[in-house]
Amino acid sequence: MSIKLTDVSYTYSQKTPFAFEALKHVSLNIKDHSFLALIGETGSGKSTLVQHLNGLLLPTSGEVQINNYILSIENGKRKYIDITKVQKKKYRKKQFDIRDLRKYAGLVFQFPEYQLFEETVLKDISFGPKNFGATDEEAEKMAKEAIQLVGLDETYLSRSPFELSGGEKRRVAIAGIIALNPSVLILDEPTAGLDPQGEREMMELFKNIYDSGKSIILVTHNMDIVLKYVEEVIVMKDGQLLAQTTPLKLFQDEKFLVNTAIEPPFVFKVAKELMDNGLKIELESIKDIPSLVKEIKRVEHE
Amino acid sequence: MNNIALGRYIPGDSFLHKMDSRIKIIGLIIFFVAVFLTYGSVAQNFIMYGIFFLTFLIFIKIARLSFSSVLKSLKTLWVMMIFLLIINTFAIKTGDLAFVINGYEVYWDGIVRTCYIIIRLMLMIMLTTLLTSTSKPLDLTFGLEWLLGPLKLLKVPVHIFAMTISLALRFIPTLMEEANKIMRAQSSRGVDFKEGKLKDKFKAIISLIIPLFVSSFLRSGELADAMETRGYDPNGKRTKYRRKYWKSKETFQVIGCFVLLSVFILLAVYQPDFIALVQGLF
Repeated sequence: MSIKLTDVSYTYSQKTPFAFEALKHVSLNIKDHSFLALIGETGSGKSTLVQHLNGLLLPTSGEVQINNYILSIENGKRKYIDITKVQKKKYRKKQFDIRDLRKYAGLVFQFPEYQLFEETVLKDISFGPKNFGATDEEAEKMAKEAIQLVGLDETYLSRSPFELSGGEKRRVAIAGIIALNPSVLILDEPTAGLDPQGEREMMELFKNIYDSGKSIILVTHNMDIVLKYVEEVIVMKDGQLLAQTTPLKLFQDEKFLVNTAIEPPFVFKVAKELMDNGLKIELESIKDIPSLVKEIKRVEHE
Repeated sequence: MNNIALGRYIPGDSFLHKMDSRIKIIGLIIFFVAVFLTYGSVAQNFIMYGIFFLTFLIFIKIARLSFSSVLKSLKTLWVMMIFLLIINTFAIKTGDLAFVINGYEVYWDGIVRTCYIIIRLMLMIMLTTLLTSTSKPLDLTFGLEWLLGPLKLLKVPVHIFAMTISLALRFIPTLMEEANKIMRAQSSRGVDFKEGKLKDKFKAIISLIIPLFVSSFLRSGELADAMETRGYDPNGKRTKYRRKYWKSKETFQVIGCFVLLSVFILLAVYQPDFIALVQGLF
């Protein structure tokens, strides 16, 4: 029950003059129930990597395993193998339907508001569940749950997605994936272009989903988010995996930060300065400004 | 979706890449004319088509393109080919009877003419692909604008056309990328673009087309604003950043093109029995 990439490489436009190797021999393990962030510069292969996690891209070489689904290409043919079926041996077909994987690992693209197309929000959110075989009533129920999860009320359901504001559109689009009830929710820069308030609400939403037992994998450039919410970080550069670590370790490794041009969050830098100047606070408990204040107060009272 | 090669520039530094786009366009038009002329008997026509195809192969070799990538541009054509074949074989009722299917009489003329049209279309598309894959879109529009230049005298807004064309060309790859992105996003929502029932496929296409339309309208509005903020005036006189000079090389190439054209026209007008001529040689 985890995600495992073994020596995965991916080349765009293979065998053409435009060939571009976006992933180079990436191997990684993501355990179940993770809150993980993928960070790295633009063009470092983050978006390519996340598209491997629900089978939109298949590795040019290497193998991707998501839960019981294994994806690879062998002799130019795509190979989808379901381990549980292999183990039981009673199934003659060990292949799986790629849609099972898409339902297991829901992927929200960057600027998902562009994928809206239905006349009403309800129809748009229930589009996904219906594709995966839900009946109209089930889909409507899922849509109603999803719209509340993303912080909009049911009056939105009858409106046209095109008359909503940018932030609301984003929420509706994310609800469209949440309605699938995926076990792993993958988000490519979900907070890009949102105001601080919207960003916070969005992240609280993902936190709630995480707390309900799901995994969250997000691509982000926002280090404040990484510090506050995330439990594990993967750093990518030029299609290679540089590190898989915790935010705390990452932001303390100054040499690494300089090499990768990662700027630690301001609150973390302040906390570190305070520590260097003799305040005995603990870095682990610092997530944002309120937690820093709490920590300083704790130290004062001691 | 990825394999639409038509209209995509493939970088290179061959003779064809370096050739002035104006001459390439003139050459292309001459080839189009030549392809649509008839050269006497059926056999002679097919021989000429064979010659055109050979010339085309030589050009591909010169431009160092892969033949398969150009062939890919024909992929989208085959539906039209089948359509033409059906219409033609049942509409044309002259010549000798070829065979009868379920009481429908199919004549040789129909089959031959369908072959003509299909071969002509194939040649046209392949040659156009050759042009677009060896010339940068900007050079192409420059060439078009230059060739349409005389129309300016008739007060035709030539450079507005050129701007429209260059913008359209410029946004083909962007739209393709956008379409790809939307397809992948919808695939994540369980849309199957490759298989499924007709009704599901219809829905799948709608889920692609509508977002694509919405974003292209949005994009075009933004583009118009961006152009205006930088002072673009459709009626203003524009200057070129890179100027192209017409040298004697270009003149010779154009003369060469027209010599070829006259040869083709002469062949078509007099329709010499060149099969007999060749046989007479041996």
